[in-house]
Amino acid sequence: MIESKRRRRMIANIATYFVLATLSIFCIGPMIWMLLTSLKYEADIVTQTMQYIPRRITFDNYVAIWTQSGFPRLIGNSLVVTFLTVTICVATGTLAAYAFSRFAFRGRTQLMLGYLIVRMFPAVMMIIPLYVVMRGVGLVDSRFGLALAYTSFLLPLFAWMLKGFFDSAPKELESAARIDGSTRLGAMIRIVLPLARNGLVASSVFIAIAAWNEFLFALMLTTGQGSRTWPVGLQLMVGEFQLPWGVLAAGGILSILPVVVLFAIVQRTMVQGLTAGAIKG
Amino acid sequence: MATLSIKDVRKSYGSVQVLHGVDIELEDGGFLVLLGPSGCGKSTLLNMIAGLDDTSGGDILIGGRSVVDLAPKDRNIAMVFQSYALYPTMSVARNIGFGLEMRGVEADQRKRAVDDAAQLLQISHLLDRRPANLSGGQRQRVAMGRAVVRDPELFLFDEPLSNLDAKLRVEMRTEIKRLHERLGTSIVYVTHDQIEAMTLATKVAVMKGGHIQQFADPRTIYERPANVFVASFIGSPAMNFLPGRLVPDANGVRFAANGVSVALQARKRPADFERPVILGIRPEELKAVARDQASVTGVIDVVEPTGPETMVTVQVGEQSIIARLPPRFAGRRNEPIFLTVDPASVNLFDPSSEQRIDI
Repeated sequence: MIESKRRRRMIANIATYFVLATLSIFCIGPMIWMLLTSLKYEADIVTQTMQYIPRRITFDNYVAIWTQSGFPRLIGNSLVVTFLTVTICVATGTLAAYAFSRFAFRGRTQLMLGYLIVRMFPAVMMIIPLYVVMRGVGLVDSRFGLALAYTSFLLPLFAWMLKGFFDSAPKELESAARIDGSTRLGAMIRIVLPLARNGLVASSVFIAIAAWNEFLFALMLTTGQGSRTWPVGLQLMVGEFQLPWGVLAAGGILSILPVVVLFAIVQRTMVQGLTAGAIKG
Repeated sequence: MATLSIKDVRKSYGSVQVLHGVDIELEDGGFLVLLGPSGCGKSTLLNMIAGLDDTSGGDILIGGRSVVDLAPKDRNIAMVFQSYALYPTMSVARNIGFGLEMRGVEADQRKRAVDDAAQLLQISHLLDRRPANLSGGQRQRVAMGRAVVRDPELFLFDEPLSNLDAKLRVEMRTEIKRLHERLGTSIVYVTHDQIEAMTLATKVAVMKGGHIQQFADPRTIYERPANVFVASFIGSPAMNFLPGRLVPDANGVRFAANGVSVALQARKRPADFERPVILGIRPEELKAVARDQASVTGVIDVVEPTGPETMVTVQVGEQSIIARLPPRFAGRRNEPIFLTVDPASVNLFDPSSEQRIDI
């Protein structure tokens, strides 16, 4: 009886780990392969028999992509666009989220629903009209224009996320601050924002990563070196007659480095922010 | 220190009116308690005095100055919230000094003021802590310190004791009374606890459904309630109500019901003396006497000794009343009991309007 129970538990454990391992291979496998590829000589990449673990290691691919292509420029552009997007979203989204959370105004529910509906359209549908608008105001092929385009679909997400954090900050704190001598805006900045700090960090990192990795809008709205971001730049390196696997892999690794570093820095705050309110603390 | 005048103040949310023309005058240094069940509009009224809610009509004057168009920060008031509303990211000292900081008071002057307030409330040893590391009673003191330090014209308290346990509540009640007597600042205090109202107030406004039912000093509210609602809301156990009739007799007029005959002191003798009324008797006004002196005759239902007194539930006709009798009362269930009441202490109410009748 006890024996069979133990056996059943062991079978369940094996099944669980099998499923987890399979999923892990699908999730992490490509990244590891990309890392390994970036360290191989070009000759070792396309071979008769698959070479999983490289026998010899080189950093030539990294040197090549950093010195022989416009890659530093691409990364720079991505940084600028991401920074602009986050700045615009934080400045306007924070105020919007606060208003949604605190004021009962006519059309509030409809507006919030509208924010959600914007997210439901596939990005492809919006590209043509957005392109026409951008061309009309002369913002095609500019980093600011691309940041605005990102804001158009990231701001609703940001406002919705932050509203939740504002909702959980007690209203009486602001009332107290307003009686103590703050204006409404002052109370929000001095009292509510420090409380929602983790949420603000989590939401900002979320949209920063989305803007950093975005491909489709960047492809359509940028045409020249001056504003092109790294996902588009890497894709354009695929030529008609050549496919520089090693260099592309090195570029991919370099591109996710900033995200990894950002995560490492804000990881604790972000997890606190995302789980805030989940349990009484 | 300042007077407070509330003149015909109204509030509605859309088509729902929650305050119907409230009028209140509070003297300089007075202690006004807004008392009523939840949903009666007392907190709304307090928020309007604070400026956290807009008025839909009427005027509010603090120290003779109309404040309805002023922001909360410009009204020179301080408020203590039910949840204390301490700023969680700041130390106790900064919490107390925040109002001064906002008003641009110099750091050393601020520190002196914070220290004084902390000493007054005996929280000097807590100044470096965060609110999260304080007990309920300590938080309450910090919240009061934050109000006191600003030396405002008017203090507002929104059910400040309702989150404390019973023992601490009594302690802090005494503390608030001491603070009021020491500082002499006018206070508006919202509560649904009638004991707090009775012990603290110089004036009580009993509210229900957005109307002021009675506005008077606590003694008057207790002894001469304006209607059945006020009479039943104040006092624990509640006032006994006995429906019956007024009957003229040789000496004047008397209240008669099944098992009850109370001779009343009538100052006048209006024509409609023979009419149905409700007699209100406070439990402590009933005394056990011999059969021949009885004005209320009934049968003992329950005897509850509490220590300092004994609560006796008595069945009088179809009505059940409670008498607060001496601790060593010896009666037992189903025994007859004979009670008397001082005619000067009873109240009469009209059965249909439930308003007080003076005879």
